[in-house]
Amino acid sequence: MMDDSHTIWIEKYRPQKLADIVGQNEIIERLESYVKSGNLPHLLFTGSAGVGKTTAAVALAREFFGESWHMNFRELNASDERGIDVVRNQIKQFARTSPLEGATFKILFLDEADALTPDAQAALRRTMESYAQTCRFILSCNYSSKIIDPIQSRCAIYRFRALGRDAVKEEIHRIATQESLTIQEDAIDAIIYIAQGDMRKAINALQGAAIISREIDEKMVYAITATARPDEIDELLDLSLKGDFEGAEAVLQKLLQERGIAPNELITQCYRVLVRRPLDQGLRVALIDQLGVTDFRLSEGANSEIQMEALIAGFVMLSRKYSS
Amino acid sequence: MYHYNTNIMILVMNSASSDIIYLIYGQSVDMDWVEKYRPLHLEDVVGNGPAIRQMLDWASAWNKESRPLILYGKPGTGKTSSAYALARDMAWEVVELNASDQRTKAVIERVAGTSSTTGSLTGAKRKLIILDEADNLQGNADRGGARAILDVIKKSRQPIILIANELYDLPAEIRSRCDLVQFRALQARSVAPRLKYICSAEKRSCSDIALRDIAEEAHGDMRAAVNMLYATAIGRDQIVEDSLSTSRKDSRSSIFDLISGIFGRTDSEKLLRMSYEVDETPETLAQWIEANVTHLKDISQVTRAYDSLSRADEYLGYTYRQQYHTLWRYATALMILGVSDAAGSEGIHARISSPERWKRMGTYRKQKNVRINTLHSIAERLHMSQGTVKEGYLSQLGILIEKDPLGYAKEFSLDADGLNMFLHDKAKTQGVMKTIAAEEKAREKERDLLDKEAEKKRKSAERKKEPAPVQSTLPPEPAEQEPAPDEPKKTQKTLFDGF
Repeated sequence: MMDDSHTIWIEKYRPQKLADIVGQNEIIERLESYVKSGNLPHLLFTGSAGVGKTTAAVALAREFFGESWHMNFRELNASDERGIDVVRNQIKQFARTSPLEGATFKILFLDEADALTPDAQAALRRTMESYAQTCRFILSCNYSSKIIDPIQSRCAIYRFRALGRDAVKEEIHRIATQESLTIQEDAIDAIIYIAQGDMRKAINALQGAAIISREIDEKMVYAITATARPDEIDELLDLSLKGDFEGAEAVLQKLLQERGIAPNELITQCYRVLVRRPLDQGLRVALIDQLGVTDFRLSEGANSEIQMEALIAGFVMLSRKYSS
Repeated sequence: MYHYNTNIMILVMNSASSDIIYLIYGQSVDMDWVEKYRPLHLEDVVGNGPAIRQMLDWASAWNKESRPLILYGKPGTGKTSSAYALARDMAWEVVELNASDQRTKAVIERVAGTSSTTGSLTGAKRKLIILDEADNLQGNADRGGARAILDVIKKSRQPIILIANELYDLPAEIRSRCDLVQFRALQARSVAPRLKYICSAEKRSCSDIALRDIAEEAHGDMRAAVNMLYATAIGRDQIVEDSLSTSRKDSRSSIFDLISGIFGRTDSEKLLRMSYEVDETPETLAQWIEANVTHLKDISQVTRAYDSLSRADEYLGYTYRQQYHTLWRYATALMILGVSDAAGSEGIHARISSPERWKRMGTYRKQKNVRINTLHSIAERLHMSQGTVKEGYLSQLGILIEKDPLGYAKEFSLDADGLNMFLHDKAKTQGVMKTIAAEEKAREKERDLLDKEAEKKRKSAERKKEPAPVQSTLPPEPAEQEPAPDEPKKTQKTLFDGF
């Protein structure tokens, strides 16, 4: 066990088989039937980060090609190489050569395909068609609307959903067992809260916490991921919206200084709560706008201390305006 | 409604020259259905009757004076298939170029240039040049490509078909030299029978409802429909409605749910979740929301809605300026929650409108392209940047052009759209363009005539130099010999004319 303590868990526990992928049952069932029949159309996987798109593509290749999967599978990340020349050179080169070891076709997995320029996508569409005999394409993207229609028209589209509570829980339990960790229920809740449906984030949080101790509790999870607990965010907002600037300011300082939580992270967490919390709709919109202003100014390089204080002050003012 | 008799399939199997056959026999398991069931003959192409007839008329009347065709329309409406089917039906060879080839001038000229000008004199075997994705020429990688296409069109002695999704992405110089053939989105009721045919050919049982669902989901895109069918059918013997939950083309229908949610009584969290599921960019969402703001009753509501929309729009600006995509969420939240607040959950009582802007987009796109192309050709002629022309010379040029449209249209090689940009008078523009076309035709005729004469002179000169060997050593070549009897007469006449 200690030997591979250097391994990154997201790789160590990346499902090797389609059947091991959690939370995408419908999609996995279809992909398995492709393997059974030996046929594969071009595919387009859409969905946010950490929901299993890459894992599904690699697992699919393994099941199609067995031992020789490395030879017949190529993974390219379009956001590294986004111009038309990649399509015309690298992709075409791989697609046109015959499959090896008796496979009937190869698979090219193009990750973040929405980063390709429209020109490059246009060239890609033809390559997909011309070499369909020797090569099937799996494209993955966050937003399918950024993929040009002619390509969507050539693919079967699979929408990967953000992972639900149960899927994350199941996987965390599985890993915890294998690593002989004891993990408390509230720690799992914390991981689910932090992950927001992203399995990579969840596993990273778990591995981070496991470095501190083999017995994982909620506190460790929040500490290692530099995330505020939901109740801390609630406290901050409660005080601001009650008009208690001093109280809110103290909580803010604690979170930023003592806990070392990044301003951006804090903004994101506030955003998530504000969207959900019962509030006058007009006030909600104004508060979110205030958050946006702060986020924007920080992105322009403004001083985070001043901006975060101003944010809280703005919250206080807005709550007064809407309560009168 | 649509009859597929088995003869067609047999015909396919029999035509030994087809690559497809080989594939059907050789790799029937792996071939995807779009390729496998691509129509081979024009009569098999589903829908777009007028376009098909126009192509047939063009091909059967084709001569060296005929203009190239541009087939344009949405993906999956049968453009490429029809071009190939036409070639097959006419027994023409095909030379194809597309955007995944490096489309620099040299390449186009090498491939298309040779095949378009050389051709046997007797015209026995024509070559159809197909330029697929002709609208994807922008960008540095294709530098010179448009000009090369233009050259090919001008010089070609062979039929040419250009294929494009967006007509107005083609340079005006090319458009004005071609005849246009529009391919329209297919009706679901003509897509479904084709799917049914494929199912029976593949021995899959399928419910009519499932097929209709697929046909509708495809939004007039036959390829998408067949792909969906294929993706759904792999590993299954029967296709029913339940099989369809995944593997479909992206559906845009839920944007309607989102819009009615915004105007109705839906809580914020759910609205934002829906906005994510709709999977449109925030810009598109903003356009949809804006299109429906007008349904609000009270002017103060409309004002508040626009306040939120414009604030959201500012965030979109920040997002792109900073390349910091986290800011997107504020844009989305403000446009959705802000407008929902303004609407006050009264619900939407009119039909949900799609963005006005989309309807106008086609025209905008055309106007923009006209402006760009015109500026480009004027700037080139005047050795200035397009910006300089636009800022300092455009209005003055307008006055000059109005005074002498014909002269300046020729000077700047303006096309009808470009000229009309200055004249704002369609009738007048057309008159000028007619004059130019007539002049050009006359010039071409003259040039052709000169070419022919020069050729004849050359030939007769050769013949005169060594008449004996040609006759005696090369008897077994009837094709070459055929025009011989006419030759002396023509030569005589030419010589005579010359003097």
